[in-house]
Amino acid sequence: MKNSAAKSSGKQPKSFTREEELLLQDFSRNVTTKSSALFYGNALIVTSIPIWLFYRIHMIDVYSSIISFIVVTLVSTYLVALAYKNTKFILKHKVAVKREEAVTREMTKKLAEDKKMSKKEKDERILWKKNEVADFEATTFSIFYNNALFLALVIFTSFYVLKTFTPAVNYILSVGSAGGLIALLSTGSQ
Amino acid sequence: MNLLLVFLAVLAFVSGNDEEETGARLLVSKQILNKYLVEDKDIIVKYTLYNVGNSAALGVQLTDNSFHPDAFAVVGGQLNMKLDRIAPGTNVSHVVVVRPRKYGYFNFTAAEINYRPSEEVKELQLAVTSEPGEGLIIAFRDYDKKFSPHVLDWMAFAVMTLPSLLIPFLLWYSSKSKYEKLSKHKKEKTSKD
Amino acid sequence: MVKNILFLLSTLTIFSLGVADTCTNPQVAATAYTTNDATVLTNIAFVAEFQLSCSSKVNSLPLYAEINGRTVPAARLSEANKYQVSWTEDLKKARSGDYNVNLYDEEGYAALRKAARSGEDPSAVKPLVTIVVNYPGAYQGPWVNTDFMAAVLAVLVWYLAFSAKSKLLA
Repeated sequence: MKNSAAKSSGKQPKSFTREEELLLQDFSRNVTTKSSALFYGNALIVTSIPIWLFYRIHMIDVYSSIISFIVVTLVSTYLVALAYKNTKFILKHKVAVKREEAVTREMTKKLAEDKKMSKKEKDERILWKKNEVADFEATTFSIFYNNALFLALVIFTSFYVLKTFTPAVNYILSVGSAGGLIALLSTGSQ
Repeated sequence: MNLLLVFLAVLAFVSGNDEEETGARLLVSKQILNKYLVEDKDIIVKYTLYNVGNSAALGVQLTDNSFHPDAFAVVGGQLNMKLDRIAPGTNVSHVVVVRPRKYGYFNFTAAEINYRPSEEVKELQLAVTSEPGEGLIIAFRDYDKKFSPHVLDWMAFAVMTLPSLLIPFLLWYSSKSKYEKLSKHKKEKTSKD
Repeated sequence: MVKNILFLLSTLTIFSLGVADTCTNPQVAATAYTTNDATVLTNIAFVAEFQLSCSSKVNSLPLYAEINGRTVPAARLSEANKYQVSWTEDLKKARSGDYNVNLYDEEGYAALRKAARSGEDPSAVKPLVTIVVNYPGAYQGPWVNTDFMAAVLAVLVWYLAFSAKSKLLA
């Protein structure tokens, strides 16, 4: 991270490198409220969908299971959101590296006409844009990947692994374990 | 099936010793050929009339009053039939298809047969068929829940999951392809130079 | 002379009308039922009910039906000249299509038995009438389990995502 920042800034003095570093640190660790809301919102949607499967196909008794529905949905929402965050953090770095060149070129072209802006400001803008693109791509991919994995796990466990269990137990175990598993896997990969 | 034949053979042997040499003897089995008994779905009732006697059974009449029209609808065949002659040592089968109108336990009772055991005898010989016994007719709703393929439910599920999967994917993919195209252009440019 | 001939002719006609043992010009009106939802059944039932009408005045002739190479007597129903021919077949072995059921009267039946004994071709005996029972096949449940399809699809989608992720992290 340090080296690439030094390379892109080229002849910049060391103080700016540190500033840039701080800026980057600020951007990457701080999961903004907007991002958080996005994660929790998506997680809630994806963990609520299996309830339909259980209601229509496993013939679960809705009235008696309402409490377990709420509890399990909340717990798995937390777990899925956690998985989103972890996966995004891992991906963002890699995406940033990949998009560096393209974003720099795009922004340079865009800001080329503006003579009033200082080089420092332009570089700042480029950095910000790089961060934004990496963030966006990492976020969307993380949501997509984790949703796909979560749903596949729920379907597989509830229809094959836990086939013989009662629908109520089936629901708790399949949705719960799917959530737990993706949270675990998200921390595992480097 | 094997058990039935053994039973018939034993019966024939046991009873054959006591009776006369000649004379027809009919043993009739009534079977329900179903895996499950479901409300408003076909129930196949098969009557097999075996003549284990030495002469032909004449004027055979089969009457089944166990399927009350309020409880069952007959969709194929008829429950009462006549056969002029059943040769000795042969069997004849008669099939009726009924549909139960209600669900619940139902006791499948025997049907009645009457026939003349030989040419000279004017009196009718009465007999009953075997009894299939009690069966449970499942309500159509329960059967449907268990066995239907739930195609519509799965389609609805697919529609519900589509936004969660498609929207993030498309957003990511559009950004990815935009920047990859840009970087490809640059690579081409630098390679040209 | 003419009187004698006329007398002879009239007796013959009366005779042929009275002693009507055979069915002339047989016409048959048949309704057939085959079970078509086999998800709850172990066999397929074929039931054919038919009404025989003849030019000659016959009442409830004994008829014999040939089903699957075996000749059985046709069951007579409560109405006059109405018969039922029925049989069952194993679910797996029942093939869809038309089943031709040949009906024979006493004469035909005797001829059939004679042909069987002397080793002649039984199909040489002409049936009185033939009814056709069509079996369009039975519904035995969905060909592919929808749960399985859904699981396969879900895993496929995940796999695509996984390969994209691996490429990204490479």
